[in-house]
Amino acid sequence: MRVLKKYLHVYQAYFAMNLAQASSFRMHFVLVILVDIFFYASSLLSVSFIYDHVDTIGPWTREEFLFFVSFMLAIDHLHMMLVAHGYWEFSRELRTGDLDFKLLKPIGTLFPIFFDRVRPGSALLIFVPWGCLIYFGVQAGLSPLSWVLLPFLVVVAFTLAVSIQILIAMVMFWTIESIGINFLRMQLQSLSRWPDFVYLYFFRKFFTFFIPVLIVGSAPVKFLFDYSVWQPLALVCAMILLFFWLIRVFWRIGLRRYESASS
Amino acid sequence: MTSLQREASKWLSTMQIGITNQMAYKINFLLMIIGPALVFFLIKYNLWVSIYSLEGITEIKGYTLEAMIGYQAWVLLVELLAKTSNGRNLAEDIRLGRVTTYLIYPFDFWKFHSASFLGTQVVQCVIFSLTFVIVLFAGLIEPAGVFQFLAGVGFALLVGILWYSVQFFVGMMAFWLEETWMLRVIFQITAAFLSGAIIPLELYPSWLVQVLDFTPFPYMTFYPIKVFQGEYSGSLLEGYLILFFWIFVIMMFARFALRRGMRLYTAAGM
Repeated sequence: MRVLKKYLHVYQAYFAMNLAQASSFRMHFVLVILVDIFFYASSLLSVSFIYDHVDTIGPWTREEFLFFVSFMLAIDHLHMMLVAHGYWEFSRELRTGDLDFKLLKPIGTLFPIFFDRVRPGSALLIFVPWGCLIYFGVQAGLSPLSWVLLPFLVVVAFTLAVSIQILIAMVMFWTIESIGINFLRMQLQSLSRWPDFVYLYFFRKFFTFFIPVLIVGSAPVKFLFDYSVWQPLALVCAMILLFFWLIRVFWRIGLRRYESASS
Repeated sequence: MTSLQREASKWLSTMQIGITNQMAYKINFLLMIIGPALVFFLIKYNLWVSIYSLEGITEIKGYTLEAMIGYQAWVLLVELLAKTSNGRNLAEDIRLGRVTTYLIYPFDFWKFHSASFLGTQVVQCVIFSLTFVIVLFAGLIEPAGVFQFLAGVGFALLVGILWYSVQFFVGMMAFWLEETWMLRVIFQITAAFLSGAIIPLELYPSWLVQVLDFTPFPYMTFYPIKVFQGEYSGSLLEGYLILFFWIFVIMMFARFALRRGMRLYTAAGM
């Protein structure tokens, strides 16, 4: 409990610092909000335009599919607000040797690396993905239990998404220029924005069991629609544990390779 | 050596530097240039195959499955040829005060970045050619003819200059803004959505398509594909002129921003 309190206290300080920074650069603050709005609108409208010409895609109707898109937007929202900036900073810190300062901090090292940058601008937009989630959830006829489970499953899916991305970011220890790794990370993220059933057999298996990006959204949403489909959700939990372990292993190996500014 | 030859030599040397810089980190280059376009194609290929096969649909707005996959393959090719991330470092040059270096070069800031962009275009042309051969032999596309192919390549190369003009203009905003990546991302998201890169514009509501014709977006993906496919209904010359018009307008704004920005610039950066 004391450890949790300590981390919350540090996080509070990070948030205050980021808020102060965001209010100093107001135009930047507004533009970050605009990026998110454009992204939400294009994601929802793309699917909506396709449904103008078909009744269902796989087993899902327009409302169910848009609920899935909203679910992924809610994860993306958390991701953009809490972690997204960290990967780019990690790349820079590795290259310049600034990682040294974070390694010296008296706190779990991964925490300040990936969680010290918060986007307060994105926090203001929380009502957009969650509003869509509620709207399309009602349209899709979600049961009361599903509504209760929904916030927990968003957090579980977010945890897996972040774990996968942090593990991919570990590759930066081995590359000199790391922008490409960040591009790869974003491409994998974009694969997960479509449900697993749209992918052909090989891709579906590969991105479910090897790099499990497809179960991030598909597993929880399928479970919310039908409780008998619990196996993919169990896989999500197993993958979270596996990825936590892999991050631990690769972080240690990576640190041994890290040579400060000359890395 | 005449002054024209000297100028050409500067452009060629800078293009070579641009190519070397691009190829210095090969995995990085692969992941940045080819990766996004390839993953984008992979998603759309899977999506459309599943829509047609799962629903037993034979045609959507005149597109059979083969035609839709062909369209998406052309999107991949147009993106490989036209979409550039050149100019991404402009903002950094300005913010960190590196513009000062260009003030003493015998080759100004705009020329240096434009020549680097042309160098990247050479690399992208090679990638485009290789990918074209692959998708052609995979049977994903059916070129309409040599004239249409050359006209399409010309169109796509102009779209590349349009992308670069926008990137340059956005980069110039670093004279006034702390960071400019948001503007670039907004443009990329909007262009992907409104240019027909995700879904052919025939599938959009007709009122939206009419509005889009007054913007450069359809000319960035949809119309180049139609030129490649030999299905461009308008005058080709008119299409080229419209693209030139947008490039001219955006470049004028960019040059104006550069001039105004340089008045604010202090060698210590912004």
